[in-house]
Amino acid sequence: MQWMAFFHSPVIQQALLPAGLIALVTASMSVMILAHRLSFLTVGVSHASLAGLGIAATLALPVLPTATLIAILLAVLLAWMPAAEGISEDTGTGLLFAGSMALGIVLLSRLSASDINLFSLLFGDVLTISHSEKLWLALVAVIILGLLLIFARRWWAIAFDPVTAEASGLPVQTLRVLLYAAVGMTVMMCVKLVGVVLTTGMLVLPAAAAWFWGRSPGGLWLISVALAMPGTYGGLYLSYVEDWPSGATVVLVLCLIFLCSWGLAWLRQQHGKKPDTPA
Amino acid sequence: MTTTVIEAHQLSLQLAGKCVLDGVSLHIGRGHFLGIVGPNGAGKSSLIGILTGRHPHYQGLLRLFGMDVSSRNRRRLLSRIGYLHQMHSSQSHLPMRVADVVAMGLASWNRPLWHRLDRQSSIEKALQQVDMEDFRDADFRYLSGGQMQRVRLARALVRTPELLLLDEPAAAMDNKHQQQLYRLLRRLCDETGMSVVMVEHDIAAITGYVDSVACLNQRIHYHAMKGEQIPEDIWHQMYGSHMHVIAHDSGCIGCCEVT
Repeated sequence: MQWMAFFHSPVIQQALLPAGLIALVTASMSVMILAHRLSFLTVGVSHASLAGLGIAATLALPVLPTATLIAILLAVLLAWMPAAEGISEDTGTGLLFAGSMALGIVLLSRLSASDINLFSLLFGDVLTISHSEKLWLALVAVIILGLLLIFARRWWAIAFDPVTAEASGLPVQTLRVLLYAAVGMTVMMCVKLVGVVLTTGMLVLPAAAAWFWGRSPGGLWLISVALAMPGTYGGLYLSYVEDWPSGATVVLVLCLIFLCSWGLAWLRQQHGKKPDTPA
Repeated sequence: MTTTVIEAHQLSLQLAGKCVLDGVSLHIGRGHFLGIVGPNGAGKSSLIGILTGRHPHYQGLLRLFGMDVSSRNRRRLLSRIGYLHQMHSSQSHLPMRVADVVAMGLASWNRPLWHRLDRQSSIEKALQQVDMEDFRDADFRYLSGGQMQRVRLARALVRTPELLLLDEPAAAMDNKHQQQLYRLLRRLCDETGMSVVMVEHDIAAITGYVDSVACLNQRIHYHAMKGEQIPEDIWHQMYGSHMHVIAHDSGCIGCCEVT
């Protein structure tokens, strides 16, 4: 009967829709993140978002919109940085990651414990989502899904072969900047659910588990979403039953799903079929 | 009437402060098949890079399809060009069916997702042209190097380009498929009027198919038309003294062996 109690809990009822929306958006974007090998970017932007959260809290600005704007700015800066001589993308990500996180820690350390809940920032807490945060998440989700609808094929073509994509007339650099901006927005959506530290898990695990089975962009997307949804809701349920932190439990369940997918792919390989290896 | 497809006059290019191309001039008409040969670092791929818009900061005049190339019309002109680059510069890790890879060459691929991908018949035709129709649903990642390159060629052909640029397309192919490729390109030039510019190391392999061969090393040392001999001193100018020139028949343009 714990299922019934789970669905009747007012806190859970508040969280179900936002959590599902976050799972849908992150699973969709995770396919692009793996295709473009942007896992480290998500680590960098999620940790750098601490600066955005610190600035918002210090200046008493709306937290999620301010942090989202700063995450987009940082991601776009990283998209442009490789063009500058002598700074590779992973070096740039490392620089921004460390610098922004240091700024965030300094800013947050000046605030009192009542001003900011550091634990929920670091590890997420979708169960305490407010009405205005829900509206903000919905707006960001619509923008990200809209960008995916418009640019998914072009982003995929660039991931497949950027040289030919450029030679066919695609504005590769502009499309890369848009993709990085979308990643920045997705990171901030994720921070609400699983926090700064665990965001990369949400943005990598669904597509990584799907990678063993998908054979086309559309197939990958479907499998990724199909795995992220039960992973997210399963994690929320487990956290409710066991009284574990919700964000960490969701990521743990997604890790389990990935391991199962990997194991099944291994079994398939033993029976003579070639598995598809993750990026 | 022959329409000029490429008109290049005194093209020069510097990359990282080093002169890569110096005063290259070329005129290619409709249906012409040009082979470009030259040593490593001669600027062959850079010349293709200028034509595909990858190196926009060149000096000199470039007209494609009778129009001056500018930042305004570059993308529109590029949509009329097919391009196949050196295979080793791209090894995709993405799960994709062969038919989807070819579909990426269609103009409709770049539209939003609510537009359906049409022209399945074009995909079938392009795959047939490169002898890969039986691999339509195969996973692209598990093809051999030569098969991958043939699929990439199908992607370049699927939009029926007016100009096809190829940078060592046959490097990963076996001899049979190399000859098939050159025969296909020759036929497309003759039957559809498509023009081809192909960078290739093995001049002996292409000599029976191309209309002319340009010997490039920073500049074009010699542009030989079909049946024309390339003087031995040209080879020495391009490759230095460590080479032998091998005799060939009157149908050849020339061939060389670097030792």
